[in-house]
Amino acid sequence: MNEAVVATGVGKTYGDTVALDGVDLTVAEGEVFGLIGPNGAGKTTLIRALTGTTPVTGDIGIFGQEPTAVDSERIGLLPQSFSPPARLTAREMIDYYAGLYDDARDTDAVLADVGLTETADSWYETLSGGQQRRVCVGTALVNDPDLLFLDEPTTGIDPVGRRALWELLESLAAGGTTVVLTSHSMAEVQRLSDRVGLLQDGQLVAVGTPDDLIADHGGRSRLVIGTDASDAAASALTAADFTATASPGEVVVDGVSPVDIGEAVDVLSDADISYDSLTWTEPSLEDVYLQLTGESFEGAMTPGASAITEGEAEGPTERAAAGGDQ
Amino acid sequence: MSRGRRIRSEAVAAWHSFLRRRTAVFFTFFFPVILVVIFGALVRTQPTDGGLFAEPAAYYIPGYLATVVLFTPLSRVGSEIARHRDDNRFEKLATTPLSRTEWLVAHTAVNTVIIGLASLLILGLVVLLTDASIPITGSSALLVPFIVLAVILFCGFGAVLGRLADSQDGVIAASNTIALPLLFLSDTFISLDQLPGWFGPLVELSPLTYFARGVRTLTYGPAAGDPYLGNLLILAALAVVFFVAGAYAIPRTD
Repeated sequence: MNEAVVATGVGKTYGDTVALDGVDLTVAEGEVFGLIGPNGAGKTTLIRALTGTTPVTGDIGIFGQEPTAVDSERIGLLPQSFSPPARLTAREMIDYYAGLYDDARDTDAVLADVGLTETADSWYETLSGGQQRRVCVGTALVNDPDLLFLDEPTTGIDPVGRRALWELLESLAAGGTTVVLTSHSMAEVQRLSDRVGLLQDGQLVAVGTPDDLIADHGGRSRLVIGTDASDAAASALTAADFTATASPGEVVVDGVSPVDIGEAVDVLSDADISYDSLTWTEPSLEDVYLQLTGESFEGAMTPGASAITEGEAEGPTERAAAGGDQ
Repeated sequence: MSRGRRIRSEAVAAWHSFLRRRTAVFFTFFFPVILVVIFGALVRTQPTDGGLFAEPAAYYIPGYLATVVLFTPLSRVGSEIARHRDDNRFEKLATTPLSRTEWLVAHTAVNTVIIGLASLLILGLVVLLTDASIPITGSSALLVPFIVLAVILFCGFGAVLGRLADSQDGVIAASNTIALPLLFLSDTFISLDQLPGWFGPLVELSPLTYFARGVRTLTYGPAAGDPYLGNLLILAALAVVFFVAGAYAIPRTD
């Protein structure tokens, strides 16, 4: 498969601050590549480097050419914190950006893609934050690009709009569009991306498919049991060859597959231990993120549970059961 | 054809954006109107010896026109560049086929229309509110290229200001600081013989001087004494220089 993006040893500094430090990256044509990382990790700078909007050291090839030399009809970009003219309607906005290309898509089709047909004639400044972001996404789609850069495309979009946008991106990817996106939503990246790169302190510290990254860095699935008798429950489970850790009000059982849940419940029942809740979680990209970046939300998480980031209620696989009283 | 399409698209967006900012529209036209009303109708010119406004009313037509030809492009183009930069619009545009030159052509075209309308308003008010009369001759049509070239020149200047200033506030402060002395010290409202002798060469350095002298010849008659074609050629050369500098100054990367 041909490569849409090839970056080798890309570096960028702002004064004493190192924004990118020797980043090597390849993205194949038709691939969806997700960039994740903490704020300030270098995601936006890398997008700017790949689109030729900031000078960097190292080598970058976009379809085999310098970023500034590549045919702009093939590229689409949604910059971070992008704010277009506020007093154009959504339709005028799409018309405006479409008018900059020789071969642009039909405005109504773009508006339909981003779900703004009903509000097409409202001024941008009167739209909700999510609708505004969808207009911005639309401006990146007007030329039907072969390579689409999206810097935090779903920021501020409500769950319904976000899912609609995910489906749109999935259809674009299915049609062969190469997508490079950044996001703080691990669920988004995990769902959309064929491969994921984690940037930290300007370095690409891990690259792989979501499944591979989770297998390598996500840890094991866990069962969290809410119970007042946590010490007794941990002892009973440990005696049954489970790896259980007690803390006030709960027991965390590590490495529990779904088929083992019933056995753990039987152990509690046999020991006559009551519990309030059972929550089973499997590792997700968010666990990978937390593991590799060393970030955590102390005091805001129960051990073993995944952190929920903004707008990410559909994130890691998590199933909760009502409590039982044995 | 595609270049024309791009410029048209950018210009239409800029035109709609301007028209829908009602305060911007109001003050763009109110500023020259209030100037003509205050100095032309209320203060009135005093054709005696010495002092400000000592010449006949028609002498000051270039000054009134200069208020829009100078202030409007400087502040509008400069602010637009600062706004584009703050909103990451140039980052977006850098990945489209629109070039920096095309962007500046589009915004210059919009400014030309706005300033053309404001100039017509000024000329009408001067005739209505003062005792000035504007001679209509075969060369009167040259007012159009004088205004267009001056707009091109100061749009380029505004683009350079927008690049150098780090915010919209900075652009406005810088454009006022530069435009105010230029407005009064470019043979517009104050004639050379009212200034110290050593100031003469500085007046020659101001691009607005050539606009003022040429326009005065066309609107005040032969009494102005300056050859308008020479001034037009100098203005055209300066317009090219400033436009090229402005197009080059427009940010494309960070």
